Amino acid sequence: MSDQTVTQTNEEQQSNDSTEQRSNSLTVDVETDERLVDSWTDYEFEDEAAITVEDLDVYYGDDHAIDSISMEIPERSVTALIGPSGCGKSTFLRCLNRMNDRIDSARVEGTVEVDGENIYEGDTDLVQLRKRVGMVFQSPNPFPKSIRENVSYGPRKHGDVNVGLLGRLLGNDDREVEREIVERSLEQAALWDEVSGRLDDNALGLSGGQQQRLCIARCLAVDPDVILMDEPASALDPVATAKIEDLIEQLAEEYTVVVVTHNMQQAARISDQTAVFLTGGQLVEYDDTDKIFENPESDRVEDYVTGKFG
Amino acid sequence: MSEQTATRTAAPAVDLFDRIALGVVGLSIVTFLLGWTTLFERTGTDTAVAGLSLFTLFGAVFLLAGIGLLVSGIASYVGAFETTADRYTGIGTGLGLGIVGFAVGGLATTILFGVGATGSVLVGLVVGLVVTSGVAVLPEDLGTTFPVGLLGLAWGGLLVTGAVDAGWFWNPPSLDATFHAPIVVPLATIALSLLIAWSGAIVAEGFGSQGRQNGAYLLIGLNAFGMIAVLLLLILFVVQKGLPKLLEGAQFGPGLGISVPFLTKGVMLGQQYNGIFPAIVGTIWLVIGAVLLAVPIGIGAAVFLTEYAEQGRFTAIIETTTNALWSTPSIVYGLFGYAFLVPRFGNSNSLLAGMFVLGFMLLPLVVITSRESIKSVPDEYRDASAALGVNQWQTIRSVVLPAAMPGVVTGVILGVGRIAGETAPILLVTSGQPFPARAPSILGSFRFVATPPFVQNEALLQASSALPYQLYAVITAGVGQEEAFGWGTALVLLLVVLGFYAIGIASRIYFRRKLHQ
Repeated sequence: MSDQTVTQTNEEQQSNDSTEQRSNSLTVDVETDERLVDSWTDYEFEDEAAITVEDLDVYYGDDHAIDSISMEIPERSVTALIGPSGCGKSTFLRCLNRMNDRIDSARVEGTVEVDGENIYEGDTDLVQLRKRVGMVFQSPNPFPKSIRENVSYGPRKHGDVNVGLLGRLLGNDDREVEREIVERSLEQAALWDEVSGRLDDNALGLSGGQQQRLCIARCLAVDPDVILMDEPASALDPVATAKIEDLIEQLAEEYTVVVVTHNMQQAARISDQTAVFLTGGQLVEYDDTDKIFENPESDRVEDYVTGKFG
Repeated sequence: MSEQTATRTAAPAVDLFDRIALGVVGLSIVTFLLGWTTLFERTGTDTAVAGLSLFTLFGAVFLLAGIGLLVSGIASYVGAFETTADRYTGIGTGLGLGIVGFAVGGLATTILFGVGATGSVLVGLVVGLVVTSGVAVLPEDLGTTFPVGLLGLAWGGLLVTGAVDAGWFWNPPSLDATFHAPIVVPLATIALSLLIAWSGAIVAEGFGSQGRQNGAYLLIGLNAFGMIAVLLLLILFVVQKGLPKLLEGAQFGPGLGISVPFLTKGVMLGQQYNGIFPAIVGTIWLVIGAVLLAVPIGIGAAVFLTEYAEQGRFTAIIETTTNALWSTPSIVYGLFGYAFLVPRFGNSNSLLAGMFVLGFMLLPLVVITSRESIKSVPDEYRDASAALGVNQWQTIRSVVLPAAMPGVVTGVILGVGRIAGETAPILLVTSGQPFPARAPSILGSFRFVATPPFVQNEALLQASSALPYQLYAVITAGVGQEEAFGWGTALVLLLVVLGFYAIGIASRIYFRRKLHQ
């Protein structure tokens, strides 16, 4: 027990109204006796913020999945979101490109700014948003199409690349452009050397790790600024995981990467800063990764990262 | 377990045990097959094998198999061979054999003593209960072999002694039907062969769970084989009856080219060989029209219901109604077409009305199967596409539908099989002269005109013949042609449907390839 924690009294438990508590910059977690401290999540950094989240709440029906989270994510870096299952980190991630819109029962309150624009404002163009904020999923999900078609799927559907009969008839066949996009994306995803000779083979014939890198390439092909990854390596073997991790670190030179992971060693290896979510959809601590793993402010975070809890 | 197996293979006595069991299984498979061929008149009462008439042979085989089962059951019970028999046979097997006992006991009572229905049912119940309870508590090696072995001995004895011979029949007093030996004996033989094969298979694995698995496996295998054999025999039957007519006047060979008048000519006076060409063309156009109508609408409806509509009471109601529509009798569709479509299409039976009615019949199946296959496309594809900023319609078009196509095509294949053979609606809305001289010339009849609807097609609005309708006219109503003409038509109908299947299967393979290359 550190001096910051106070023993929870019955009185506090009864008046456990989160908004009221937060106005005093202190809130009491229902299940533990530790208070959340605002300064633990006030992460200071020098770069520009790519994403700014303010007072984000998410409800699934009556279920409060994200509890008033505010955080800023610096550009061109890897931000890891860690926490036990069901703590809301994936939900949080899916708020950043409005994938939660696809779930009928989900309700989102608060603001999320990407490049200074609130993406939850009425007239946000989802196509433009998702082109800027790409996403890679937990299990590799390439389309049952050729490797080439998988990578060029986004550009083709957005009309950036015209291939096919009509394009050829109108004289703007962009196959050269497409070839460049495919090569660039696959190279960025460290997959080009393995598949350059068989771009027209079906993507489902690739190994799991290759499929996941193909999904990353597919995401890169639409030229995003931010890449969201939802446990990108959890379905892969250690070798493929290592490749994905290397790739994430490389991508952070050009892109803002936000990774959800269950694997704390992975978060420690690849991320620049780490946000720890604990039960109830609360962000408990957000700081430099070294700080989180070596000397966290919160006792619960310390217990979690050292494996005593969660 | 492995120790036990080792002793079993080492001891010569165990070899003998296995041989008896395998012999029983082998013999019963032979009688099972002969039973089917006899039922379909490929073999008959006059068939003789090694000097024995067929029924005597059946009897001898059942006697042998029955003795084999009894001997191996007792041998296992007294411990002459090491087996893994359970202590009790169990209530499941008991019930199964009890039902057999009920049937045999009841039938035997009526046939032997002329007892009425109530009495024989009572006797059957008593026998069934005794068998059930007896078998259930007997050790497994006796419970699975004894009832079956005794039944084999009894039926074998009846056949060998000639108590039941080729001229035997049973005329139940309460029914107008007579059951003759050429039907009864093969049926009983098939059923008993299955039982004996099952029992023998259990013995062959030395009872226990291995034995039960072996028995179930053999029973299921023989049943499946029997069903496939029935289908093959059916096709063989149609081919045998229809082929001579199909090939009547046909010429092949060098210098002659290929000419099959039955397939290329209509029915005309003074023509040497009449044919069914108009009906073939009619059926093909009907199917094409129905598919063109139903498939786009059906897939569209399925996409709407699965991807766009909110899943709830509305979609549930639609789903129930679609299922109900699919099981609606075709004559109801026909009547609808007759009362609603025919008056609107020039007040005469027409090909177009037939296309519409068959299209309506096909529609529910296309909707059902398309919905199922669209639902089974993994949501990961939709998520991946949405995360790339691709809108829903483009996602459906370029990811969901291609992945669902093989399932959709399977549905259409099944539906086409049904509508191609449909007679009732055609009778009401399409048919005219059953044996026309000329085929409808759909492609040649398109006329473009200056007034709406700008396209006219006389042939579509005229009555046409179709294969099932012609079949009905010849065989059932006895109109016009001799019976062989009908069998030829049946064979061609079968071939046309198989042809549509082939097209469907080829396109399904094409769509699958596109997904998996």
